[in-house]
Amino acid sequence: MKKKVAQKVLGLSASVLLAGSFSLANAETIKIAIAGPQTGDVAQYGDMQVIGAEMAVEQINAAGGVNGDKLEAIRYDDACEPKQAVAVANKIVNDGIKFVVGHLCSGSTQPASDVYEDEGILVITPASTSPEITQRGYTMIFRTIGLDSHQGPTAGRFIAETIKPSNVAVIHDKQQYGEGIATAVKKTLEEKGVNVALFEGVNKGDKDFSPLIAKLQKEKIDFVYYGGYHPELGQMLRQASEKGFDAKFMGPEGVGNKDISQIAGEASEGLLVTLPPAFDQRPENQDLVKAFKAKSQDPSGAFVMTSYTAVKVIADAIAGTDSQETDAIQDYLRSNTFTTPMGKISFDDKGDLKGFDFEVYTWHADGSKSTVN
Amino acid sequence: MLEVTLYFLQQLINGITIGSTYALIAIGYTMVYGIIGMINFAHGEVYMIGTYIAFMAITGLAMLGIDFLPIVFAVALISSMLVSSTFGLAIERVAYRPLRGGNRLIPLISAIGMSFFLQNYVRISQGARDIAMPSVVTGGWNFGPEDGFQASVSYMQIIIFVVTVISMTALTLFINRSRLGRACRATAQDLKMAGLLGINTNNVIAATFVIGAALAAVAGTLLGMYYGVANAYIGFIAGLKAFTAAVLGGIGSLPGAMLGGLILGIAESMTAAYFSTEYKDVVSFGLLVLILLFKPTGILGKPEVEKI
Repeated sequence: MKKKVAQKVLGLSASVLLAGSFSLANAETIKIAIAGPQTGDVAQYGDMQVIGAEMAVEQINAAGGVNGDKLEAIRYDDACEPKQAVAVANKIVNDGIKFVVGHLCSGSTQPASDVYEDEGILVITPASTSPEITQRGYTMIFRTIGLDSHQGPTAGRFIAETIKPSNVAVIHDKQQYGEGIATAVKKTLEEKGVNVALFEGVNKGDKDFSPLIAKLQKEKIDFVYYGGYHPELGQMLRQASEKGFDAKFMGPEGVGNKDISQIAGEASEGLLVTLPPAFDQRPENQDLVKAFKAKSQDPSGAFVMTSYTAVKVIADAIAGTDSQETDAIQDYLRSNTFTTPMGKISFDDKGDLKGFDFEVYTWHADGSKSTVN
Repeated sequence: MLEVTLYFLQQLINGITIGSTYALIAIGYTMVYGIIGMINFAHGEVYMIGTYIAFMAITGLAMLGIDFLPIVFAVALISSMLVSSTFGLAIERVAYRPLRGGNRLIPLISAIGMSFFLQNYVRISQGARDIAMPSVVTGGWNFGPEDGFQASVSYMQIIIFVVTVISMTALTLFINRSRLGRACRATAQDLKMAGLLGINTNNVIAATFVIGAALAAVAGTLLGMYYGVANAYIGFIAGLKAFTAAVLGGIGSLPGAMLGGLILGIAESMTAAYFSTEYKDVVSFGLLVLILLFKPTGILGKPEVEKI
């Protein structure tokens, strides 16, 4: 009996020792917060971000880390809610983390970046496309994605020049991202002389769009652009096909996600989406794509490569400046060119990518996409 | 002219469809209030659970290779009613019965706690992601000129409407004709007196929770099949709308809940039709404020004398 107790005590102290040494090793890591929606109705985008960022951390660590230090990714969940995003930002500050890859939704990134700017925490968002985010003179915020002020015109030009519809409706979800891009699309369409017959907001989280669809039918709309995320557009597509409303629909990268096909089924066939270029199709990224496939992860998500890139440039900048001072790093980011899965990239003074363009894809009912010719 | 009429008709149909599901959920609020004078804040969660169970039943049957619609629908409806009723009963047992007779605020708070518990319970057990299901019922009828605006009713909308009418009729018959229904009405009039006259009021109260939950499950099944999406939080907004409908129609009154639901649904769809979709909540809640200003008991509510 006594022996058993002694054994237990020994085992316990051994495990305490182990735990102690483990936390000692941990103290050497460079922590990167991955902040985005891990729950809620757009959590699929959070998945893309997490697999992209964690793959980058894994590969950088496997190659010896950054100047000998290992990276460590820590997930934070903002559920794409502005309020929770600020709470997450404060938690990241309290946890003493200096680098953030996130947030995803523009509505979350904007309020959270106020906190980061005050605290000198470097943020790279792999997904927020609202132009305003980088237009406030902040030094700590960068993005590895394009802007709605580019994406909107890309979509608008495509509609005006390729589709040539006679009556367009532009619908949005009244959120920073959705309304922003819808306004940009409307502006381009009007400049091109396309008739925007209806410009209207819906409530985020709404499920019943039958009154709206009847209205679209009455206005003889033959093309609908929706600025927002997939849960609402999915419902619209589903209810439109039930009502026999056969106009073409188009949306920004916030709708391009396999879930829209689950919600809308066959009705999602032929939906047009503007997305970041399919970096996973590029020949130079095939090794990386294989690494994702080996973990049965999907590298084709719109934000996987942008998140990978965000981590990569942080690591490169830390290595390049040989410091973890965010002030030196933001300088380094603005003045250097980085080799990433997105190609050679560099940032302008505002923190936006130079020369990033969205492309138009056709979405299919099985959740795949193909380029529009 | 024809187009204007058809458009109005179309929006009326849309409004009635959504309104009738509000009414189904509203019944649960109004019945509980009518009898014990308290709001069951966990009622929206029962609706959400109903949707989840219906999804499970439909996917389960699909896996077994059964896709004959009447069977799928009946199984989904019955299983979701059964499970939700059990939840309704449990809510009454856990959050209401032990606290009955005390301060009226206490059960209110325990019901809110129950609502949080159920949301998070579903979130943990079923995952935080939205679940989606393809349409089970597709297609519909169109009427109107071939080349102009056509009004349309989808088969799912017809099912929603018909099932609601059947449920409402069954409930009205049950309350007016059956023994337990009579006991319900007696208890609603005077709980203490009903007890003195030999009615087991505990059972009656439990029965109202069960009936309310079963109707919420009907709404959950119908709307689940209509929208094809669910998550652990859909109960909140649905509960809020249904509660509004119940208050609008006069809380405590069954016909009031039905009327309130329809008015709310039609007001929403007409706002979306003739003004803008973004204002539909503004109008429906504005309507509630107006009605409460001029008739504080709601449209069909009777002034309470001293029950509070």
